[in-house]
Amino acid sequence: MNILTNGNFLAILGASVAALAGIGSAIGVGIAGSAAAGVVAEDPKKFGSTLILQALPGTQGIYGLLIAFIILNKIGLLGGSMTELTAAQGGFFLAAALPIGIVGIISAIHQGKVAATGIMLVGKRPEEIAKAMVYAAMVETYAVLALLISFLMINGIAV
Amino acid sequence: MNKINIIGLDSIKTELIKKIMDLGVVEISSQDTKLTDSEWITYVKKDGNENVVFNLDVKISQINEVLNTLEMYDTSKRPLFSTRKTISSSEFIKALEENDSVSEDAAKVLELNKSLNELCSEQNKIEAAILSLKPWSRYDIPLNMTETKNTSIIIGAIPNIIEIDEIKSRLLQTTDRCFMNLIDNDKDQYYCSFICLTEEKEDILEFLKQYGFSAVTFKELSGTAAENIIQYENSLKEISAKKETIDNSITELVSFKEEIQLYHDQLIIERDKNKILNNMLKTDTTFYIEGWIPEVSKENVQGVLDEYECWYDIKQPEEGEEFPVLMNNNSFVQPFEAITELYSLPSSSNIDPTVFMAPFYCIFFGLMLADIGYGAVMSILCFLVLKKFKPEGGMQKLLKVFFYCGISTAFWGVMFGSMFGDAISAAAKLLFNSDFTIKPLWLNPMEEPMTLLIFSFIFGVIHLFTGMAVNAYMLIRDGRKLDAVFDIGFWYGFIIGIALWLFGNIIIPGSDIVGRWMTIVFGIGLVLTQGRAKTNVISKLVSGVLSLYDITGYLSDILSYSRLLALGLATGVVSSVVSILGSMGGRNILGILLFVVAMAIGHSFNFAINALGAFVHAARLQYVEFFGKFYEGGGEAFNPLIKKTKYYKIIKEDI
Repeated sequence: MNILTNGNFLAILGASVAALAGIGSAIGVGIAGSAAAGVVAEDPKKFGSTLILQALPGTQGIYGLLIAFIILNKIGLLGGSMTELTAAQGGFFLAAALPIGIVGIISAIHQGKVAATGIMLVGKRPEEIAKAMVYAAMVETYAVLALLISFLMINGIAV
Repeated sequence: MNKINIIGLDSIKTELIKKIMDLGVVEISSQDTKLTDSEWITYVKKDGNENVVFNLDVKISQINEVLNTLEMYDTSKRPLFSTRKTISSSEFIKALEENDSVSEDAAKVLELNKSLNELCSEQNKIEAAILSLKPWSRYDIPLNMTETKNTSIIIGAIPNIIEIDEIKSRLLQTTDRCFMNLIDNDKDQYYCSFICLTEEKEDILEFLKQYGFSAVTFKELSGTAAENIIQYENSLKEISAKKETIDNSITELVSFKEEIQLYHDQLIIERDKNKILNNMLKTDTTFYIEGWIPEVSKENVQGVLDEYECWYDIKQPEEGEEFPVLMNNNSFVQPFEAITELYSLPSSSNIDPTVFMAPFYCIFFGLMLADIGYGAVMSILCFLVLKKFKPEGGMQKLLKVFFYCGISTAFWGVMFGSMFGDAISAAAKLLFNSDFTIKPLWLNPMEEPMTLLIFSFIFGVIHLFTGMAVNAYMLIRDGRKLDAVFDIGFWYGFIIGIALWLFGNIIIPGSDIVGRWMTIVFGIGLVLTQGRAKTNVISKLVSGVLSLYDITGYLSDILSYSRLLALGLATGVVSSVVSILGSMGGRNILGILLFVVAMAIGHSFNFAINALGAFVHAARLQYVEFFGKFYEGGGEAFNPLIKKTKYYKIIKEDI
């Protein structure tokens, strides 16, 4: 039980939770990728446009990495000497990482689905790629908002 | 856009169409509705000859096949961007005259390609035959020999579910006057031959049936399987030799590719000229054209029509009449039309949003990428491609957009002090152990995110207000001044009021009082006016009060601009991750090598993913937030009669 009251452990756990957003991106990019492969099987020239759409659900993983990195940087783990954190401080970091960790996973999966159908759309009407991208970007909005709130919270935690 | 009607004599029709095509500014619209109009139909009939167009289309698709074939055999390097070569119209005509054998060359390629395909299918057939003979290669009785005077020979395959010896012994139990030979077996089947008395043949087949036996016959073959296989292999060799000669002859014809491309383009022009006749009406001696011309090209067209002594009438479209849309912008804004086109063209009653959208797109893209290095790389690359390959159409527009966005990215990079993220500081630290940093001209978003967040919202409000202003302009233009005041003006006041009330004190102390009163006054104004379409007083008030709920829409629109900060941060943080990873090797040769490699790979990745993000999200802010305030698409693009050639761009000479 001791470890759960260790501030540094909680802060690192927070960084891990944030990085978990990558799960969603992996699933989302995977869904979009299999749709893209299907479309490219019909018309290899669509590789470029489908790749763009496939990349869209990948950003949540980056947002997660970003928050994880900021936490690690803030607690000094990357510099080599970690700051001693109180349990409360560590808890703050963990709490602040939750938005991007959770929203990142779910939004990336759904963005992957939208991107996959967008890829189908491009398969039939290549000129409509902008619309497919905007549909996918609509989902990403919430990952952006989560990233922002996680960032602002971490930024506000005094170490 | 002006509407144009032309009537002329049949004798000049072909010449005139050629001239109109050279001008490339007249859209000839279909007149099918007139053909059902009894007033018209007594005098005119539809022009055009479907057969001519059809035959040309067939020819074009053949030439396309020829060009595709040649493309496969062409070993010369293909450029990154395929662009049309320029050729003057006299050269174009001359080149076609000189190469009068071009259609024969094309026919030759077609013929060769056809025989190549035939050889391929023959090859497949033989290969399949060899495959089916392979199991019988050890069977030394001629294949067409299926019986003697008193015996029958059966050959066939049995699935190897049961041991072959088992089958054999069971067969011997049925009859002892049958020889069973195992010829060969593979992982699925036994290949066997049976020699039996003809009178017992049916019984044996019946017996074998329960083991899944399927008889095989090679009636058309004589000699043993092995002999046949050798024969087949010989013909395979012949086929591949033939294929090689055909390959060589096609490769020789590759040198005619350019001529065939010219021919292709000529056919396209010819086809389009004939096709457009379908949109025209004729009497016995005259023709009638109805269409659209842009305002600016009026004089050019008039000149040509006067020259050919046509009757014509150019007038403004009637109120509410839909007309094709041609966006007309200055050279900075013009490339951004590509972004508008990706959404939808403005409808004819709407306004071209590109001029309002372009600066915002450029600024937002830059804010989200915000790096001197990335911006410079992007602009330089786009510039080089534009200069070297001279792409046309949408590609050219997009490259120009990215060129401008690159400049904007570099600008914001200066403002935020970012050059490949913090690569310079990391390099200085690694090599010289110094604490060199690039000073941001304005602020460092990593250190003052709140300030930048507020500015993101301010940019957002400016963007939205611009959109609303355009809407107001359109309302006033349509004579709905009061609507503009109530629907746009009051909302301006209400939103500014709330902003001042909540945050005004931070900037100007005491301004929150002003804000509060503005909110109240304009709020009441909205309640009183938003229900004005309703008839009775109570529903007027109810819809007025409910309209205040729209503030959530404005709120979410404004919050959406937080992505300006978030995506900018994403670029910056990933850059610093790259720097940290790169610096891990320490100050030695290997460490520096690691630094260089990590920088190259990391920044390429970061640039690609974040430039994509910036492109998508800058577009989204335009399409959803900005266009949502005033824009409706759905316009039909202006589609003039021009030379839609694929390989050569034919330019007029200056004489």
